[in-house]
Amino acid sequence: MKSIFFRFFSAVLLALSLSQVAYAADVVVISNSGTTISAGEVKDIFLGEKQFAGNTKLIPVDNAALQESFLSKFMNMAGDKYNSMWTKKSFRDGLTPPAMKPGDAAVIDYVKRTPGAVGYVSSAPGGVNVAK
Amino acid sequence: MVTAENVNMNHWQKGLPALLNASLAGLLLTITALAQAESDGVPLHGFADAGFAAHSRNSSDPKGFNVGSLDFYLTPQFDNNIKGLVEIIFETTSTGEVATDLERLQMGYTFSDNATLWGGRFHTPYGYWNTGFHHGAQIQTAILRPRFLDFEDKGGILPAHMVGLWGTGKVSAGDGKFTYDAFVGNGPKISMGPDPASLTTQTIGTLSINTAGDNNHQAMAGFNLGYEFSGMMDGLRLAVHALRGDVEDDNVTGALGTSLNKTEVSMTGGSVVYQANDWEVLGEYYRFSNKDKSGTTGSHSSWADYLQVGKFLNGLTPFLRVEKTVLNQQDNYFSMQESGQSYARQVLGLKYDLNQKASLKFELLNSKFSAESGRTASSYRSLLAQYAFRF
Repeated sequence: MKSIFFRFFSAVLLALSLSQVAYAADVVVISNSGTTISAGEVKDIFLGEKQFAGNTKLIPVDNAALQESFLSKFMNMAGDKYNSMWTKKSFRDGLTPPAMKPGDAAVIDYVKRTPGAVGYVSSAPGGVNVAK
Repeated sequence: MVTAENVNMNHWQKGLPALLNASLAGLLLTITALAQAESDGVPLHGFADAGFAAHSRNSSDPKGFNVGSLDFYLTPQFDNNIKGLVEIIFETTSTGEVATDLERLQMGYTFSDNATLWGGRFHTPYGYWNTGFHHGAQIQTAILRPRFLDFEDKGGILPAHMVGLWGTGKVSAGDGKFTYDAFVGNGPKISMGPDPASLTTQTIGTLSINTAGDNNHQAMAGFNLGYEFSGMMDGLRLAVHALRGDVEDDNVTGALGTSLNKTEVSMTGGSVVYQANDWEVLGEYYRFSNKDKSGTTGSHSSWADYLQVGKFLNGLTPFLRVEKTVLNQQDNYFSMQESGQSYARQVLGLKYDLNQKASLKFELLNSKFSAESGRTASSYRSLLAQYAFRF
């Protein structure tokens, strides 16, 4: 007897429609002065898949005022998907979602004083590293 | 007479003393306090659900309104590398009691981005559903799990939980990521009736995960190896899995005191997951080549699989699922399990997201159980509704 799994597997995969939507916005990703990250690592950091830079534990923080633009530019996902993804990741892998800060000032303050902190703001301040 | 619907609840500790409930609550508070010393605090997360069920006449499953489960979990981070995961669940059984279970108690050490080692009681990482959703009713599209992947005391044929060690991680490979899970722990046993030493009172059994220790001192081990695609195929994960170990029942042969049945369970299979572009496709396949180690019946093949396809449409997610098992009744591993009867089920469902954290779900099910040695055929239809939320 043929398995349901094998009978439908190929057909379903072929039927999937793939499309990507993205738009850019002015968002700058910053990190603590003792931590250097690249723009290419930002998505993995905010997905919880890159947790260390050398021996330093990375601590991503979200910015409520800019989250929508950040998710579109760097993560290619909407806010509900991002939250749902973190719920699943936290539940399965025991990871803690990024803390939500209210705006640029709170993010900059946290990133400056927290080793390994990574955040995003509308313009880069002094005293932090900028992801390039 | 054995029927598929008679759920044996002896896995649960019915009427759990208040002392244990207080201890579990105390454990949550203690872990929270310990972790608060290292961070700004540990949020308490969880899931809860309630629902309604109606079945055609020839089903003995509970009908009417029901309270589902209340699930709490914590993810304390004790330092840069050491973390924990604690989950406690309060669940209503089919007979109306509220059962409490220490669902997960894991201590983990993260070596790097590529490797984390967990120890304790965890969700056995085969396929996708078992670790991806488990008691998280609100994050799974369907109300019911595929029946053969259900919890040990609710129709599952595999150990959904394990006590042991679990290594997991991801490694970049090409444009995507190679994922791995490797685990070893106490092999489960099949728990029989209230007096397993009495051949006259034995009933058919359910899997028990041997939380307090391995009854036959033989570990169960397995792996789950996958690849997560990126770019145009982002959201697609393909994986293979395997699991192997000896499983005995606690049906003993009088003076000898040895188990009547011992089976070398050997499972292999694979899974496909696609979650992108508003599509959700989930499929898992399990093939068993089990060997009778206490008798002379030899090796037996069985299989089980499901495929679920859903499409997200502005808060509505209609989905269709088909599931089927062909379980060899010459195989003691299945014939001694209450849930070891072959069946086929079709599910048509709808999930409506009231918001990101609350959902209403509806399902129509058509279930058909096969006539097999020692079991009667049955078929019935069901209508289920559920309100589920997370916090």
